[in-house]
Order: sequence, then C-alpha cells, then structure tokens
Amino acid sequence: MTAMLSIRNLVVRIDGKEILKGLDLEVGTGEVHAIMGPNGSGKSTLAHVLAGRPGYEITSGTVSYQGRDLFALAPEERARAGVFLGFQYPVEIPGVNNVYLLKAALNAARKEHGLAEVDAFEFLTLVRDKMKLMRIEDSFLSRAVNQGFSGGEKKRNEILQMLVLEPKLAILDETDSGLDIDALKVVAAGVNSLRSPERACVLVTHYQRLLEYVVPDFVHVLVDGRIAKSGDRTLALELEKRGYDWVSGAAA
Amino acid sequence: MSTPLTARLIEEYASASQALPSSGAAADRRNAAIEVLRAQGLPTSRDENWKYANLRVLERLRFAPAAGAATATRVSVSAADMPPALPDFARYVYVDGVLSATLSAPAATGAATVTPLASTPAVAGAATPALKADERFAAVNAAFATDGTAIRVTAGTGAATPAGIELVFVASADAQAGASYPRVAVRLEAGARLTLIERHLSAGSDNSFVNSAVTADLARGATLQHYRLQDLAGRAIMFDTLSATLGADASYHLHGISTGAQAARSTLTVRLAGERANLAMAMAALGDRAQVNDMFALVEHLAPGARTTQTFRGISAGRARVAFNGKIVVARNAAGTDSQQSLRGLLAGAEAEIDVRPQLEIYTDDVRCSHGATVGKLDDNMLFYLLSRGLDRDTAQRLLKWAFLAEVVTKISVPALRREIEAHLPGALKDATLQELL
Ligand SMILES: Nc1ncnc2c1ncn2[C@@H]1O[C@H](COP(=O)(O)OP(=O)(O)O)[C@@H](O)[C@H]1O
Ligand SMILES: [Mg+2]
Repeated sequence: MTAMLSIRNLVVRIDGKEILKGLDLEVGTGEVHAIMGPNGSGKSTLAHVLAGRPGYEITSGTVSYQGRDLFALAPEERARAGVFLGFQYPVEIPGVNNVYLLKAALNAARKEHGLAEVDAFEFLTLVRDKMKLMRIEDSFLSRAVNQGFSGGEKKRNEILQMLVLEPKLAILDETDSGLDIDALKVVAAGVNSLRSPERACVLVTHYQRLLEYVVPDFVHVLVDGRIAKSGDRTLALELEKRGYDWVSGAAA
Repeated sequence: MSTPLTARLIEEYASASQALPSSGAAADRRNAAIEVLRAQGLPTSRDENWKYANLRVLERLRFAPAAGAATATRVSVSAADMPPALPDFARYVYVDGVLSATLSAPAATGAATVTPLASTPAVAGAATPALKADERFAAVNAAFATDGTAIRVTAGTGAATPAGIELVFVASADAQAGASYPRVAVRLEAGARLTLIERHLSAGSDNSFVNSAVTADLARGATLQHYRLQDLAGRAIMFDTLSATLGADASYHLHGISTGAQAARSTLTVRLAGERANLAMAMAALGDRAQVNDMFALVEHLAPGARTTQTFRGISAGRARVAFNGKIVVARNAAGTDSQQSLRGLLAGAEAEIDVRPQLEIYTDDVRCSHGATVGKLDDNMLFYLLSRGLDRDTAQRLLKWAFLAEVVTKISVPALRREIEAHLPGALKDATLQELL
C-alpha cells in the first residue's frame, strides 16, 4: 500500500539560506503524526513547501503524495487533490466573504472529482452544522475572511474550512498556539472528527498540550532542518519534561 | 492661450452655431462659453491638473454636436440597449445628449420636477459659480449642447423615501460625426432629498465622444445620493465636468464607478459653502488594455465645521493608466474642517500605471485632515491563501480585485443597483448574490 506522504532527503532554501537540510518523513494512510521542534527549526517551512507556497527554493529531495509527485502540482491542484494547510497565521482578506470562500473552495474540489456544484441549501446546512461543532457564531456567515477575528477565531475558522473540505492530508501548523483550554478542546474535537483510515494528519505543534486531546501515532522532533528523533506519543511527554535541548544535544 | 485645437473648436462653433437652438438665454450662454475658450484655450498636458489625461484623442474628433448631424447617419437605439429597469426610479434616456421620449419612462417622483433645461427659468439663489480653469470642458458643453435637463426637488410632504431619478445617456454617434453633450442641472431646495443615477453607455458606435456637464446645487439640509456609472464602449472618449455646491447641513454622497472608454477624464468640483456640509465621495476606476482613466477632484471647504470623506480605489491592468488627483482646499474661515482621504491603487499588470495623489491646502489652524495614499500589487499572502483552498489563480485574482473595490461598492445603497454592479465588475463571480441568500 502506498504511503499518504513520503518525503525523502528534502533540502529547502530561503534567500540562499538552507532551512531544511535533508528531511525524511513517511506518513501512512490513517496515521496522525506530530512534528515538534523549537522555534525557527523549519516546521512552517516544511508545511508551506508541502502546500506549494512560492518563495522557497527546493534544491533536492522528493515528495510523493498518494504516489504522485507533489512538486509537479500547483498549490490549487494540491488543495483539490486533498492536501489542506491550516495556517499558523491565517490571512485576513477584507472584502471576501467567509462563506463565499468556503463554497468556492468546496466547488473547486468537487469539480476536480467530476461532481456538480453543491446545492446552496445543502451547503448552508453543512456549514451551519460544522460551525456548531467549532462553536462559531452565526455572524461569521456575513463576515469577511478572518477580518477582525481574534487569534482563536482564526484558528477555529481554519478547522472549519478543513471540516467542510474533508481533505485526505491535513497539515496543521500550530493550530493550537494561542488557544485557551476550551478552544483547544474544540479544535481537537474538530481534528478528531476527521480522523479516519482513509486520511492522515500532520500536526505541527510547539507544545505537547494538543497531543493530550489528539493522540498521535508518531511524534517527530525537528531540529535545525532535520528530523532529529522519532517515537511514539511518549516522546512528546519526555520532550515536555526535558526540553528541546535534550534532543538538540543528542542530535549534535 | 490659443492652440490649433482651440482654433478648430472655435471654427466648428462658427459653422455649427446657426443650426444650434439659440433662444435668448441659450445664445448668451453659448457666446459666453466660446469667449472663455477663446481667451483660455483648452487644457493641455502642461496644465497642472491635466498631465495624466489623454488629450491627444481630441485631435481626431468633431466638437459639433452629433444631434445636429443628419439623422440618417445615426443608428437607432432601442429598449434592448437599456440596462434593466430599477424599481421605483423614473427613467430619462438621452441619445447623443437629446431626450428620447420613446425610451424614457418618466414616473411621478413626488417632489421632483424634471424639465428641459432651456425652458427652466433661472432659480433665485442658485447662481452658478464662475467656471474654474479646470472646468473648461464644461464651457465646451455650454457652447454646443442642444438639450439639457433641469431637476428640481422641493422638500415635499415628508415622503419616507427620496425621489429616484435615473438618467441614461447613450452615446451612439461616431466621434468623427459629432459629439454628445449631456447637460444636467440639479437643484435641491432646503431639506429636499433625491437619489440620482447617472449612466453613460454606448450603443451603435464604439467610438463616441461624450462631453457632459452636470451641476448640483444643494440648499440647506438637502441630501443628494448621486451614482455615476461610466461604462462606455472600448474606443469612446469621455470628458465630464461635475460641479456641486453645498449649503449648510447639506449632504452629498457621490459614488462613481468608471470602467469604460478608451480615454476618460472626470473633473469634479465640490464647494462646501455652508456650515456643517457633508461630502462623502466614493469613486472606483478600472483600466485595462490601453485605457486612460483620469479623475481630478477639487473639494473646497469654504465654511466652518464641514466634513469630507473621500475614497478612491483604482485598478490598472494591461497597459492602462489610471489616475486620481484629490485636492482639498480649506479656506481661512473653515475652522473645524474634518477631511479624510483614502486613495488606493492596485497595479494588476507589469506595464500598467497608476497614480494616486492627495493634496491639501490649508489656510486655517483648527482642522482635522488625514490622508492615506498607497499603490500596490495584489497581496501575495492573500493570493496564496485562496490558492491553498483550491481556487484557481484567475478566480483568486478576480476575487481579490473585487475585494479591493468592496469599500466603494458596499457603499451603494440602492440594492438593485448594487447587485447589478456586483454582477458586472470583473471581480464579480456568478454567485456573488450568495450573500443575499444568507
Ligand atoms: N521568508 C523568509 N525569509 C528569510 N528567512 C526565513 C523566512 N521564513 C522563515 N525564515 C527562516 O527560516 C527558519 C525556519 O523558519 P520556520 O520554518 O518559520 O520555523 P518554525 O515554524 O519551526 O518556527 C528561521 O530561521 C526563519 O528565520
Ligand atoms: Mg512556525
């Protein structure tokens, strides 16, 4: 069976500076992987490169997604093929309505799969349903994308989008940071509701707190552009106790 | 200062003038206008406020009115050329500047009367201010216009909704056959209210010359909502001059959306002559291909406590040139003036050009004037966010352009008009009406 995501020896530069320095990662279908690591270790760089953000120079390595060469696909093609990036810093887009974006995104994916546009009524029912789960108020429907949202609202909106789009591979970049405990539980419930044998999830996080609610199958520690250590969920607990220096030291 | 162009204009006037309607008052108006042009000439690109306009196009058109030309050479304009009717608006249609009774659908509009300009007696207290140098194209209009419309609104009997009048100016003649001269004078008596829609569109030739002159005179406490939609065909030439004067506590909301024509120039002058007068100006201009779209707005604060908010959003794509020059002058006695300018340009093409220029001239201390002017490209972060959600690049870009204009479009308070514009503007996607459904 092919892996959901297979990263081999990935080297990525920004402005000539090497950020990812030969990264390997294998995510099987149905698995949840957590990637932890100190600030600046390259976690967001990895997430962005997987989603196709411009500005990164990929100098070597391969990434295959469901057996396809991920780098051969444009960002929008990746999205329609089931890759979803939950942004560490969701972007505010004044003038573009939240629901409009959700519907356009869903229809783009449906078109890719030869499906007709979603029925307006069904769509609204679906969105309202997921909004309830994410504890997002009705006023959201008439607001612009992320505009004037609190940090927590933005993160919940990312998960709402994920729930509506039902991606095969979700890459969530620090979706937990800045959330209070109640919001964290809401976000975790959203992530867990999508967990299934056909999907996979990469959780990028700085703290192990989220992992109490979304229990990962594997935990990796990213230090200085490489996976320095991998293990099961107990690795997260150990990191919490001993700090990243423990791994950095071990990797050096 | 006379140029060959001005000389030709005066010559054309001399040979056309016999054919022009010229009962007493009209003859005086024409002669006075021609004298202004003889003395001052037409603006040139060396003039301070004209350097962005495309004035060269004037070389290849005829100033004499198309309305005076043989009717056989003109195409007939039909109801199918008209935009969809708006509920509760009386419609007046003008073809090449002349009222068309068959296409018009006048309706009782409460306290408003609409009459031919020529037959309207001068209104006491509504003296037209002398033309400024930048208003010379209004003098061209005054010299050549063969028809015109006077709209007069009294406070009425406290009708809940203001009267709604739509003026549709259709340009059908080729610029080489003659020009179209829309001419409108609006007078709102004390406390009167009016919603006015002014459209400029093409039917027949895609290469017309339109030179419009509109005046608006708002007495104490009057409110005018004025929507101007310029959507002329691709090779049309449009020069327009709008002059408004606001009395005390009067409120003028000017919304302009300019998308058409090959060369368009708007000269807007608003005088806040009475205390606490309020001006809200929200303008948008789109340029593509080789279009030139230039707006100059002069706002004069002449009395204390008046307020101006000015918003401009321009998008320039292809090899287009879009410019907005917003000048606010605060006179010595205009203490307590409050003005805000927000001028933003979006460059959507490597060869496109856009200029936004706020200017302030302040002759008193007690003012609050703020301005922001920026020109930029589409935001890469926003674009990537939309792509990462699966939207194709073209849709994402159109959506962001649409969003850029939203601040102007959302200020349109006639729902049917707003829907029409949302469906028409390039960023508008076919189910933009989704919001209505929610
Ligand atoms: N646009 C950029 N230009 C230059 N350096 C960058 C840019 N983005 C990230 N970096 C650098 O790349 C490194 C990794 O950043 P990032 O991937 O955001 O780390 P993390 O998400 O693990 O905190 C950091 O040293 C950061 O300063
Ligand atoms: Mg990060």
